Amino acid sequence: MKLSLSSVYRSSNFPAILKSSAFSIPCRSFCFSSLSSSQTSVKAQIPLFLRPARCSATLHDLKKWHDWAKNLASSIGLTFEQSDNGPDSSLLCRELKWLLEDAVEDHTLLPLMGVQNDDKRVTMRAEVDELYNLWNQRIHERRPFQYIVGCEHWRDLVLSVQEGILIPRPETGHIVDLVSDVVSKDDELKVGVWADLGTGSGALAIGISRILGTEGRVIATDLNPVAVAVAAYNVKRYGLKEIIEIREGSWFEPAKDVEGKLSGLVSNPPYIPSKDISGLQAEVGRHEPRVALDGGVNGMDALLHLCDGAALFLKPGGFFAFETNGEQQCRALVDYLENYKSTRLCNFEIVPDFAGIQRFVTGFRRQAI
Amino acid sequence: MACQTLCKSSIAIRLGRTSDSLSVICSSHRLPLHPRRASPSFSSHLLSSLSSSSSRFVKAYSILSPIPSTATNNTSLWFLQQHPHHHRSLLWCLNYSHATNAYVDTGAEGLGKHYLGLTDDELMRECEMDTFKSSGPGGQHRNKRESAVRLKHIPTGIIAQAAEDRSQHKNRASALTRLRALIALKVRNIVNLDAYSPPQELLQILPAKSSIRGSDCGPQIGPNNPKFVLGMQALLDLIFAVEGSISEAAKFLGLSTGALSRLILSDDSLRMAVNEFRASKGMKPLK
Repeated sequence: MKLSLSSVYRSSNFPAILKSSAFSIPCRSFCFSSLSSSQTSVKAQIPLFLRPARCSATLHDLKKWHDWAKNLASSIGLTFEQSDNGPDSSLLCRELKWLLEDAVEDHTLLPLMGVQNDDKRVTMRAEVDELYNLWNQRIHERRPFQYIVGCEHWRDLVLSVQEGILIPRPETGHIVDLVSDVVSKDDELKVGVWADLGTGSGALAIGISRILGTEGRVIATDLNPVAVAVAAYNVKRYGLKEIIEIREGSWFEPAKDVEGKLSGLVSNPPYIPSKDISGLQAEVGRHEPRVALDGGVNGMDALLHLCDGAALFLKPGGFFAFETNGEQQCRALVDYLENYKSTRLCNFEIVPDFAGIQRFVTGFRRQAI
Repeated sequence: MACQTLCKSSIAIRLGRTSDSLSVICSSHRLPLHPRRASPSFSSHLLSSLSSSSSRFVKAYSILSPIPSTATNNTSLWFLQQHPHHHRSLLWCLNYSHATNAYVDTGAEGLGKHYLGLTDDELMRECEMDTFKSSGPGGQHRNKRESAVRLKHIPTGIIAQAAEDRSQHKNRASALTRLRALIALKVRNIVNLDAYSPPQELLQILPAKSSIRGSDCGPQIGPNNPKFVLGMQALLDLIFAVEGSISEAAKFLGLSTGALSRLILSDDSLRMAVNEFRASKGMKPLK
């Protein structure tokens, strides 16, 4: 982490990407058309580690699978890394260890594998056949590890994830820290209503609600019914149903009732430029939902919409924090905010992530005069 | 990691109060067995960790013999730094066998104490954090489950890492706890023996039988308590001030030599730090 957590970006240069594109119209129509809310009930899948341990296998069979899986992982070498910056063997072997941990009920038996007691039965959360299947998917289809085990360890949470929703990234966790900083300085924000738009697994909403405590409220929106189901599952698992309300719909649309009333607004919207989608590592590009990744021609469609919304939906003094693709988008976004939103929004900052990449744009709604 | 292969070197960093500058002298007596792979050697590693806070440096000189190629080369590096805290401190490291073995002597202002007094957030701000592979655009582009975390404390060059958990967030917390312990072990505050009275955090880790430990100290704090590192740092400050003599230090603490030895032996890292220092003075290790 850099010495200073944040740096204010000021520049008179208006980036070319903004000059040339449609942003010359600062007042954009406010909400994307929302999908008519489908009432088909989508069910969240139960992550492997929470499944009842109804299966069993002998240590011998488990070891046989493990040896096979390890060989398969080792055979990858640097192939994935060289082709699309994917995982190498050592990362895959680490994932294999985690898969075993999630699949086997009693971890103390794992060191016995291959030592003795070959016939000893181990209680499992999945049949060994399924483990063969899963690991084949991991290696041959590049299915993300998090979808294989159905969860992601994110900050101090273990969140359920599945196909159709974005796997929360470690970088995004920093938004929770930023919110924590802000509410520690302003008690009023702590008891207010916050919104996490495009919540996906519900990661940000859950992270923030635990900072706000019982007095705050969080509205989490997502247009994807799978995300709504999974976020609800995660919210329930952490006992936060009283604090977080999940609403189905596009960005601000399901939150019209809180226009001008929000204490805070956070989002990790799709921000990858469309042309870069095809070059993504296979785990991301082939398996994660494009709607959660593709941010349009320059990746900023959703980010600009969020900035417009921040100006309307935040109450005076309210705080916003958005994740971006990196330095270029951060600068472009701050330029946009300064040029078109500075009558209502202020104190824009660009905050780097832990790798030093300028990742987040934050700011406040101006206080009423 | 370069630092792990660099076996014996010594380093001195001086944060000059009058000149507002920092000079670093690093000489390595024995160079890595695999100099190419180990490059940057500890010296340049430290250099880079310090110079990454580039705004704090005015000048950096390096008087380097050619990049290490044999096992007998000596390297030395000097550089000057404008130091924002106006503290005078000396970092000195002997027997540099891995990244954690640096001794840092700070001036009377108690920089070492200052670091441990910081909140987690404040301490994090003095650190550079690396995930082991952080190349590329990151964020939504990447799915690599790189949960391991390495923290580099920029003012001292001390490195702490953690990789045991699946969550990067938890590994960061473990690394930070580890960093605090390493700062306590490696950063020395100067003690004035003529007017010495043990600080409260040191009294708290002493056994109840200490004659100077008041009843207001509460129960003895053991190595598993996060507050132990503060007391451990103060104890090491004292032991360094009395040149490693346990019987001398025990007198200042109202303990018998045996009781203080037992306290030191109760924590592995504390025992190792004391014994390493005693060894450098030609004294026998505590057992």
